This record gives sequence, C-alpha cells and structure tokens, in this order.
Amino acid sequence: MSQYEPRIVGFLCNWCGYAGADLAGTSRLSYPANIRIIRVMCSGRVEPVFILNAFENGADGVLVAGCHPGDCHYRSGNQHAEKRVEKTRKLLDLLGIGSDRLRLEWISAAEGEKFASVIKDFTEKLRSKGPSPLGMGLDAPIQHNSTTESIHDILKRTKALYCQECGKCSSSCPITRLDPSYSPRLAVEKALMGLEESVLTDKGLWSCLTCYLCRQRCPLDIEYDELIRTCRSKAATNGISGNCSHEGVLYSLSRLMANKETKQNRLGWIPEGAQIAQKGDIMYYVGCLPYFNVVFDDIGVTHIESAQSMLSIFNAAGIEPVVLENERCCGHDLSFAGDFATFTTLAKMNVADIKKSGVSKVVTTCPECYRTLKLDYAELLGRQKFEVQHASEFLSDLIDSGKIKLNGKLRKKVSYQDPCRLGRHMGVFDAPRKVITSVPGVELVEMDRNRENALCCGVSAWMGCGRHSKQMQIERLSEAKSTQADLLVTACPKCQIHLNCALSERLPVKKEEVAIETCDLSVLVARALNPQTPRIEETIKE
Amino acid sequence: MSEQPSVLIIGGGIAGIQASLDLAGRGFKVFVLEATPTIGGRMAQLDKTFPTMDCSICILAPKMMECFRHPNIKLITYSELKEVKGSVGNFQVKIHKKPRYIDETKCTGCASCTEHCPIEVPNEFDMKLGMRKAIYMPMPQAVPRCMTIDTENCLNCKLCAKVCKAGAVDFSQEPQDVDLNVGAIIIATGFDQYDPSEITEYGYQRLGNVLTALEFERWVCASGPVAGHLLRPADGGIPKKIAFIQCVGSRGRKQGAPFCSSVCCMYATKEALIIREHAPDVQVYIFYNELRAFGKGFQEFVNRAKHEYGVTYIRSRPGEIREDLATNTLTLWYDDTLTREIKTLAGVDLVVLCPALLPRASNKDLAGIMGLQLDDCGFFKVTHPLLAPVDTSVPGIFVCGYCQSPKDIPDSVAQASAASARAAEALALAQVQRVGGT
Repeated sequence: MSQYEPRIVGFLCNWCGYAGADLAGTSRLSYPANIRIIRVMCSGRVEPVFILNAFENGADGVLVAGCHPGDCHYRSGNQHAEKRVEKTRKLLDLLGIGSDRLRLEWISAAEGEKFASVIKDFTEKLRSKGPSPLGMGLDAPIQHNSTTESIHDILKRTKALYCQECGKCSSSCPITRLDPSYSPRLAVEKALMGLEESVLTDKGLWSCLTCYLCRQRCPLDIEYDELIRTCRSKAATNGISGNCSHEGVLYSLSRLMANKETKQNRLGWIPEGAQIAQKGDIMYYVGCLPYFNVVFDDIGVTHIESAQSMLSIFNAAGIEPVVLENERCCGHDLSFAGDFATFTTLAKMNVADIKKSGVSKVVTTCPECYRTLKLDYAELLGRQKFEVQHASEFLSDLIDSGKIKLNGKLRKKVSYQDPCRLGRHMGVFDAPRKVITSVPGVELVEMDRNRENALCCGVSAWMGCGRHSKQMQIERLSEAKSTQADLLVTACPKCQIHLNCALSERLPVKKEEVAIETCDLSVLVARALNPQTPRIEETIKE
Repeated sequence: MSEQPSVLIIGGGIAGIQASLDLAGRGFKVFVLEATPTIGGRMAQLDKTFPTMDCSICILAPKMMECFRHPNIKLITYSELKEVKGSVGNFQVKIHKKPRYIDETKCTGCASCTEHCPIEVPNEFDMKLGMRKAIYMPMPQAVPRCMTIDTENCLNCKLCAKVCKAGAVDFSQEPQDVDLNVGAIIIATGFDQYDPSEITEYGYQRLGNVLTALEFERWVCASGPVAGHLLRPADGGIPKKIAFIQCVGSRGRKQGAPFCSSVCCMYATKEALIIREHAPDVQVYIFYNELRAFGKGFQEFVNRAKHEYGVTYIRSRPGEIREDLATNTLTLWYDDTLTREIKTLAGVDLVVLCPALLPRASNKDLAGIMGLQLDDCGFFKVTHPLLAPVDTSVPGIFVCGYCQSPKDIPDSVAQASAASARAAEALALAQVQRVGGT
C-alpha cells in the first residue's frame, strides 16, 4: 500500500482565500499538492452540508478560507462562515470524525505565504493524524437499487386502483389548499392514466408531507404515503430529488451514520449522575436529538433537554436503560426522500445493534423512529423479537404501574400537537393525552383540529420547507393560541423544531397572536417529577 | 304432525306488511313478528317518498291498519325470535314476548297517561331528536294502537295506572314465550343506519348542525320533533344554506359498507325538494359521487330538482366540515372534481349526512337461529342472486326487502310479493307431497 496522503478539500472565498492561493502560485511558493480547491464567492456560502459532503466522499480534511474579519466583501459573510464552521465542528465531533479535521482560516489576497504555510501545516497535522475512518467505509458509490416496481404495480399495492376520484383527499390535503397545482388525487389520476414520467417529474411529488391526512380520510384506504414514498424512490433512481430543507445537512448526517466505519461520540449529553447500562432489558433509542441540538441551536429549542428528561424519568423509575454508543439514524427521512438504499443499510445496522444488545424493548422519543423501527423495519427485515414503544406509551405505562409519581404543581393549561407519525400513522392518540392529564394541575385543552384531524407541523422528512410550511405553522400556532393554553406540548422533536422555527422568523401576524411556549412530553413529565429543577420554579412562579 | 298453512314474517316494515297482506289474502294464517312496539318500520319514519312525493305515512298507515284488521293476520309486536326447529311445512318457532305492561285488548291509545308520566326520554322513533315519556306510543299512527311502558326508564310511580280510564295498565305482566307452528318463514328485517361519528372529519355528534338523513326525515316531518319547521337543530335559527353529503361510509373499504345503499341519491334529491318547498329561499347543495338515478322516473326527478327547484349538485366527497365560531355556521372543504378546483362552501347552516344503510346487526343472531348464511356485508344469502333472489339455503325460509340487498320501497314491496308467492308455493308443495306421498 502506498503511503497515506491526506486529501484536503478547500473552500476558498473568491476575494481573499482564493486570491491568496493565486498569489502563492504566482509567487512560486511551494506547498503540498494535497488540497483540491473549490472557489466560492464568499466563505459565508459554505454550508455545513458542503463540509459534510466532502467527508462523506472520503476527504480527510476540509479547509474553509475567507477574508479577515471586517474585510468581507459582502459585509458579514465571514461571520456567518464562522458560526457555520463552529456548528459543523460540533457535528464532526459527534460523528467521531473529529473537529480538528476542519479548519477555518482568514487569508487575505496579500497573504500568499500564509496560504502556503496553512496548507503545509494542515497537511502535516492530517498526515500524523492518519486517514479519515470514513474513507475506508466507503463502498462503491451507493447504487440506487430502488424499486423495479412498475407504476401499475405500485398503484395496485397501495390500493390506488380503487380510487373513486371523489376528491376527499385533495380537499383534505393542507398543501393542496395552499397550492392547488399539487393534490393527492391528481397524482393518483396521472398514475392511473399511465403518465409515469409526469408523475415522477412532478414537483408536487416532493411537496407532499406524507402527513397521512388524505389516507386517514380516504374511504377506499388508498396508501398515499406509501405511493409517494415509492414514487420518490423511483424518481430518485432517475436522478430527480426534491428541495431539501437545511440544504440536506440532515440527510448527509444520516448517510454519514450509515458508513460502517463511523464511530460516533454522541453520549456527551448524558448528565453526570445519570445511569445508563451496557446490557439490559430496555433500550432508550435517543434518535438524532444530539444532532438536532447542534443544527437547531438558533431557534430556541434544546433537544438535549428532552433526552435528559427522558433519561431522568427512566432513572426515577429505577431503570437503567441501554443507550447505544454508536446508535445510528433510523433512516426515516431518507426513506421518505427517495434514498431507499441508505435506509436499508441503516435498518440492517440498527437491527443488528439492537439484537446484539439483547434488549426486549426499545423506547423512542421521536415518533419517526417509532414508526420506522416498529413498522418499516418489520416490513423490510421481518418481524423482530424486540418490542418498540413510543415514549408516550412507555410513560403512560410507568404512570399506570405507579413506577413514577408525578407531584409537581404545574398550574398550566396545556394543548397538544398530534405528530403525524405518532397519531395518524401509528394510531397513538390516547397515550400522550393520558400522560398530560396525569400531571397534577395540568388542564388539557384541545385544539379545534385534534387527533386524527390534527394539522401537520408543515414539514416532514426535511422536504421542501417553504411558504406553505410557514403558513401552516402560523395557522397551527394561532389555533393553539386560541385555546388559551400556556404551553403547547408535542411528542415529536420535529414538530417542536418546525413550530419554533416559524416563531423565530419574521411573522406575517402579531407575535402575541401566535407565540406560545412549546415543550416535549418527556420534559413536561420530568418537570412534574422533579420540582427542584430550575425550570419548574419558573413555572410555579407564573 | 300436519303441514301448517301458516307463515311467520320477521319484521313489520313495508316488506313484511306487503308479504303478510299477500299471504293473508290467499287464505294463509300469518304471524308478523316485530321487535318494536309498532309495525311500520323505516317507511313510517320518512316524511315523503321519491319520486312521487307522497306523504310516506299517508300511504303506509292504511296498509298498517289493514294488517291489524285482517282476520288472518296476527301481529306479535315488541317480541323477538328465540328458536326455530323443524323444516318446511312444519317449523316450530319460539318467540320471546317482552311485556308492555299494558293490556293490548283494553288500551284505546288515548295517550292521557303520557300527560301524567313524569319521565321524558329521547324518542327512538324520532331518531332521538324528540322526546317521549316512559309510557309511550312511538308515533301517533302506531299499530297496534297501544301504549308501552319502557321499564328501563320507568320510575314505577304508577301514575299511569291511576289515570288510565280503561284500566289497561298491568304491572303484573311477565315476559312470555310464545310457541308457534308455521309452514314457512319470511325474513324482512330491513336496515340500520351506519353511525357516521366514526368519520370524525364530518363532526357528526360533535357539531350540532350536522344530522343524518333519517334524523333529517324526522326533523322536517310534520309529526316530527319540531312539527316540520325547517330549523337549525343547534340553536333553532332559520337556515339559509343546507348541504347534503352522499356516500358517508358507503362504497368504502375502511368504514361502513363496501356497497352502494342505492337510495341515498334519490332521497337526498327528495329531501332537497322538501326543503325548497318548505322555504324557497334556502340554497341546497348535494355533494354526490356518482348520481345513481337508475329507476323509473328517477332521472326526471333529479332533472326537476336541478332545473325547476334550483338544487346545486356538486360531484365531490367533501374533505372536512369545520364550525365557524363567529357565525355558528359550517364550512365545507371540497374538491369540485369536475372542474378540479379546491373550494370551500361557507355559511352552511345544516349539513345532512347520507350514511350507508347496513343490514341489521341482529341478522347474525337470526341466521344462527335459523341455520342461514349471511354474506360478507351481513345480508342474507340467497341460493341464486339472479334466479332465486328470495330463496335462502333452508327450504321454506324466504327473504325480502333491504335485508336481502339494498333497495328502495317499490323494490321491497315487489320482492315481498315475490317472497309471499314463493312461501305459498312451498306450503302447497308440502301439502301435495304429503297427500300424494303417503
């Protein structure tokens, strides 16, 4: 084997970094040939996903170079770059790639020498650090061995051949109401007419929320969500994809977790004194919460609090749950975004890891993990021996059996947002409500549209967050607000992200008409469990 | 034992009434078994009939009375079938007769007892929209014209006994088993209405101004709970916009029924006409799927509704109904599938759901008692759907009306006559075999 030479991808800003490299070249300065340069107009253009993609494809290090602070040609681009790189460093640490493989440098057009020395130094450091583990885990580019099913077979399997064209789906669809160019009925109609290409190239294919409202209401029980998912996978084979929100950083994270060499470092959230076990009967499947905590740190949601609350409840009930050191993404979002191949890889890895741990029950806080582990893995890999429970069901059982006693005094009116995956997809409506009403002092006030008629939070599978998503979020928040509730409890980290994201942006309505505190079900229970935490004092003061 | 020239008819609705009159007219002895206190069935609950717009009870009541008066017909009301043994020509039937606590021979039906009874409960005959007393007659035209005491709600205060001039109240009555010997049996149990509260997006029982079709029949009927005034059920306001939704739970694969109930398109049209005749300024919308106006005079009837009465037909199953709290009206979201536009119909005062009409759930017990088979939907199976549509797999037991397959009044009546003819044939054949064979 030849000697290891680090491969570095450099994102250089047009005005400073790239000009600096140019100067190094014209000045005949020598520096290692390990860097592949990608010129960007501004370092602020470099999204975390660019960096992650580089690692995904086998880079050993990434350099981002921009203008010195205060010198940005677009005033503040480099400040954004700094924030983004900081965020990406945290993600790289979680992924076990290591934040030292990412370097941000300010190199002006006059600093050819600095450029050369930075490259020299970085190459040396990477050489001594050794190759990125991910490079070895990279197989040949992922083959989209996705569906060979014909459109007709898909229609048959999803029962769409029964369609009576009654329009119940389209008049229920929250997207169609805002953008009539897409509707579940039209998608089915086109497919029924055999217009395969039109179905697969339709932009609307990617705007569906797979929120299940149409399927819930369809008298013929057509599986629209499955139809859309399969068609997306088919479209992806042809190289078509949707608009991924957050530039696809979350897909990238999922794909990185699907690399067999990935050794994550994701247990940093576990507070001192909290107990987890290596072996046991119950597993707490945390999901992507540690990653969300980094990616969405700017919208006022602390997902780690949900995970920590859940763990504190486990411990309070005398349970030391198994938490996997290298737990991988369940693959839900990829499977709904057309990347069935990576989803399958993740599914196999997760099932193997869960089996190896020997647990008989897996508890998830995220309804998407819940659906995926319980339904999709069983469909893909056969029925598994372990039972899967959502936190709401698990908490409800703990309360029923008296293993935890809720004694906090939360004088609160609480409304509840039904997550699509938990409610309509999996039929869990009662458990979270039971948990909420078990909290002393809490009054549950339902929104106008609740349970199977609940409105989706506006985005699913990180697909196509846009104008319509924001409109839905505002609509949903004002519906929650009109219940006079003080707190909106959700049982899904993503509902929480999306609703808070809408609130963090410029609103088309007065903020007081929609602003409402949100929290995860596990946080509500933990607050009631342990009145000493500072958060509870706040609530009591109110 | 000899062959019995008599027939048991299970169900006292229009099919059962027609079959009993046909057989009684041929000289057979007929027993009509009815579960409720009065015969008349579903037809008695209807306001009018399509496509002739006859007052339903006006054409039915004479037939009910004819049944009552006919020397060959005996009505066994407020009773249930318990046991059937034997075979064609000689069935031994056991009937469980619930006590009415009223002497049927003495009660004149003057109803003065109801004025004194202190207990008020929802009236099943009015689809629980109106009230009745614990001592009651389900409707003014009840046959037999006799009160019934509903012991579930009765306080046992015996005020009724004190005020009854005929001395008909008899609290000493006990449940009774009646044994009958009959040569043939005809089943005519009719239908139940699917409960659409399962389809939560339509808000039935959550939204005050959403009714089912049978409820609406009682609501607009002159003998109904509001004497036929067209009002909003929730607040008594005057409606300006009324919408009908077809196929609620029918033709589906999830809830309700997979089949078409076959009468909804037409009765909705009829109800729309009733509304326009009551109040010509009310706008009426019918949300349909496929307009099934297949009978004689049906399409013409729909055309009249469209062109003479200005009823709006929209091809769609609305997605949901929501209440506008400011105006107390309803908004419907729908996809106008002919123009492919997503629209809303706002300001609707009353929505009438036309639910699937299901064969009775009790058919299962009946089939068990008589050794019959039901199909997947709960209809009685016949030996051949085309060529023997009223014959069950047990010789001597026949079936007619909605419990055989979805159908309207004229078809039920025709099939009742067919079943009675087949029953008469079976009895004659049994007699011939006995005489010729031994």
